[in-house]
Amino acid sequence: MHFSSFSDKDPNKISAYRDRRFPGTQEEYEHALQTSTTVYIGNMSFYTTEEQLYELFSRAGEIKKIVMGLDKNTKTPCGFCFVMYYSREDTEDAVKYISGTILDDRPIRVDFDWGFQDGRQWGRGRSGGQQVRDEYRTDYDPDILLSLNQGGYGKLVQKELEEQRQVVDYGVGSLGSFQQPHMAQNYGRHGGGGGHGYGGSNRHGRGDYHRKRYRDDDRRGSDIPKRNSENEPRRNSDHDSRQEKNPRFREHGDSDDEEDDRKRQK
Amino acid sequence: MSSWRSLILRIGEKSPEYGGVIDFKDHIDACFGAVRRELDHSEDEILTFLLQCSEQLPHKIPLYGTLIGLLNLENEEFVKKILESTHKSLQDALDSGDCNKIRVSMRFLTVLMCSKVIQPSSLVVIFETLLSSAATIVDDEKGNPSWQARADFYITCILSCLPWGGYELVEQIPEEIERVMVGIEAYLSIKRHVSDVGLFVFEDINKMNKLNVEQDFVEDLWSRIQDLSKNSWKLESVPRPHLLYEAQLVAGKSHDFGSIICQEQSNTPVELSRINFGRQKHEAELKYPQRIRRLNIFPATKIEGLQPIDRFVVEEYLLDVLFYLNGCRKECASCMVGLPVPFRYEYLMAETIFSQLLLLPQPPFKPICYTLVIIDLCKSLPGAFPAVVAGAVRALFDRLSELDMECRTRLILWFSHHLSNFQFIWPWDEWAYILELPKWAPQRVFVQEVLDREVRLSYWDKVKQSIESTPALEELLPPKGGPDFRYSLDDGDKTEYTLSKELNSMVKGRKTARDVIIWLEETMIPINGLDVTLRVVVQTLLDIGSKSFTHLVTVLERYGQVIAKICPNEEMQIMLISKVASFWKNSAQSTAITVDRMMGYRLISNLAIVKWVFTPSNIDFFHTTDRLWEILRNALNKTYNRISDLRKEISHLKKSVVKAEQLAAMAKAELEGAESKLMLVDGEPVVGENPARMKRLRSTAERQKRLRCLLVSL
Repeated sequence: MHFSSFSDKDPNKISAYRDRRFPGTQEEYEHALQTSTTVYIGNMSFYTTEEQLYELFSRAGEIKKIVMGLDKNTKTPCGFCFVMYYSREDTEDAVKYISGTILDDRPIRVDFDWGFQDGRQWGRGRSGGQQVRDEYRTDYDPDILLSLNQGGYGKLVQKELEEQRQVVDYGVGSLGSFQQPHMAQNYGRHGGGGGHGYGGSNRHGRGDYHRKRYRDDDRRGSDIPKRNSENEPRRNSDHDSRQEKNPRFREHGDSDDEEDDRKRQK
Repeated sequence: MSSWRSLILRIGEKSPEYGGVIDFKDHIDACFGAVRRELDHSEDEILTFLLQCSEQLPHKIPLYGTLIGLLNLENEEFVKKILESTHKSLQDALDSGDCNKIRVSMRFLTVLMCSKVIQPSSLVVIFETLLSSAATIVDDEKGNPSWQARADFYITCILSCLPWGGYELVEQIPEEIERVMVGIEAYLSIKRHVSDVGLFVFEDINKMNKLNVEQDFVEDLWSRIQDLSKNSWKLESVPRPHLLYEAQLVAGKSHDFGSIICQEQSNTPVELSRINFGRQKHEAELKYPQRIRRLNIFPATKIEGLQPIDRFVVEEYLLDVLFYLNGCRKECASCMVGLPVPFRYEYLMAETIFSQLLLLPQPPFKPICYTLVIIDLCKSLPGAFPAVVAGAVRALFDRLSELDMECRTRLILWFSHHLSNFQFIWPWDEWAYILELPKWAPQRVFVQEVLDREVRLSYWDKVKQSIESTPALEELLPPKGGPDFRYSLDDGDKTEYTLSKELNSMVKGRKTARDVIIWLEETMIPINGLDVTLRVVVQTLLDIGSKSFTHLVTVLERYGQVIAKICPNEEMQIMLISKVASFWKNSAQSTAITVDRMMGYRLISNLAIVKWVFTPSNIDFFHTTDRLWEILRNALNKTYNRISDLRKEISHLKKSVVKAEQLAAMAKAELEGAESKLMLVDGEPVVGENPARMKRLRSTAERQKRLRCLLVSL
């Protein structure tokens, strides 16, 4: 039941955003969006964990997989991710009900994604992460973007945000030096995440990232900006300093992947 | 100048198209002016759009009805098309059981009657058709009383029209409408009183005896309508803009609407076994559900002075907006706060939304939908609504022990999610008294579980900070620590520590699951036994997978077979689950996720999970935490989802089989047709068809046949 004149997230609408990496026509792109069971999540905090995502996004349905977006240089989370569901209906609910709401103190955007492929987990901004910086994105309300009948002001904002979207648009970037290891295919029919007969490997973000906050705090001592009542709430301009002090930046020789460590040591 | 489209869309609203002021006469005049101008060249578009708006913005039906009444004065043909379209729509809706469409169409017809577009007697014919169908259904001999839900629905449809047109009907055709009312009264006396105790949100043990005396939904609506009729059919919540144009409208031609058909409920033998009766009743209730089970959260004083029928109408408005504007967040919120009623209704709005959130067995949309609506309304009405929501929470909290368990869980999930959007601000000190209560007290468990979910959505220190005004509540926070890994330090059992380290390096060294299994079978198990093996393997792999959700998934994908090897039966799987629970005893979330993923990878069965949940050692946790129930819910949901997916697949395959059979038959027929040409010439095998074609036809037929066999065998 969808009154299309009002629909904010009507996938039948021409998408204002177009990932330049999509290998196909506009029509194929729109079809991909209309059948997708993957959502792209943006404007996340760099500190947000998979577990936080799992808790929130489970409320729209059973999650199949989460892929964190990583800065291609530091291999740490850089504010975006992909969540895959088993059903299209749950995917639509995630876009409808979670976009524009708060996760970890930030208003996140949730959009249909045309389909996760290996390599898309790396941020393509020049600094290695997402291109759009926070200054342009304060009080971001994705609602504004696609609804019609907003009158003059709404259209102005929409146009402006669309222009900024070009900045965000994934440029042609290198995949980075990290090679995806081949996943062991032991699970054929009953593996692949949930035993729904969804076979095939799901490659996902690997590499140095992401321990739970408490561990990092313990390990690194007072170097890390701890979140307690003593500190100021995080501000947007903290992003630069946060990159350096990011607790998820692992030390050498500490990786899950020997391969990665070997490369580093060269 | 605004287009006719936006004028129709925005009629009745405070919008730029109408200069930001709401005056019904001005709006109707402006809209009418634009539409009549465009009618000549955009008739079909206007027709479609007008009907779309009437259906999906039903709180504006009186305005659309008046508009159509005015159009009727100038263009009867156009209005006739509207009626034809509506007739088809209503008949289709009745045939398919589309409840919302039936209800809204009938309201639309009622309002058209008020604007003189259709004869009042036409409307009554519809009422009588529905009434007659309802009466038949509940007749023991002629009907099928297990389908009473459908009959109840038809009666509520009729009654629901009366706030919009009762006055006109009584004024113009008093005898006919009186006949209908008498008929409804008779229906109420023969139908069964509905009392689904299992679906009550509040289980009030003290009131158990009174339950049968309480009115069910139809009876309740009937008494609200009775009140309305005693008040000369006057109510505040339904606008009557047609009165502004009475003098003009009366000159319009009142069309005849035509009759509708209610399909008969399939007759079953009078004696239905209890099970079959129950099955059909259940099916009927799913198809014709009760829209709302009224939740009275606030004291009556908050909704003082409101006529019972006005409450009903506002509920209808709100439920319709929630339904038709689902997903259109801004519009949904703005419609909900901008209803065409002259009184305030924030408390009613809160009660209605909570009634949906807590609706049993399930609300029309996922609970997250209502979470979002409440957030949007708090943002739309920052001065009024947040306080009302807080009041609702307090009221529900006070009566928590009466609340159905499923409703408590929904409330926990809703509240934690809601607070996470508002910086977790809540006056926890008001509830500090719960610390005096025993560990199993519902209110104490509620707070504990809300805090646990808050930590999941954010992080431990943040939640601690949010309750710092009531530091004693820290006791209820989940443990701060991480997994309970046995082999993190060298002390304790040296053998197991070493084995764990060895397994760890095999994993880091990218040994295959095969390699590990061989190692287990040849070395681990013979020397150390199955117990130790299970412990070491589970602890070590869980530890490797403990860093994040993705790490867990990776470990299970790569080495799940190892686990499957050592836990081949239910008994071992139950042990596996308890080891998981022990490893993750500090995190309910991680326990639940791990068990869920293991079930996903078919390492543990749903039966094993159920059995584990109910092992005697878990009894102590039944009432003091939600952890076990979360795991159980996940297992049930996953099972149900799998079954649903398989059913869809089967249905899809069945269609493919049918199609393949058709293609095979076609190919066969084509082949036979070509072959028969061969025989035609006096028994001499003459090649009537070219050989290439024959070959192709034969192979196609073969292929189709094989494909069909393949599909059938699946």
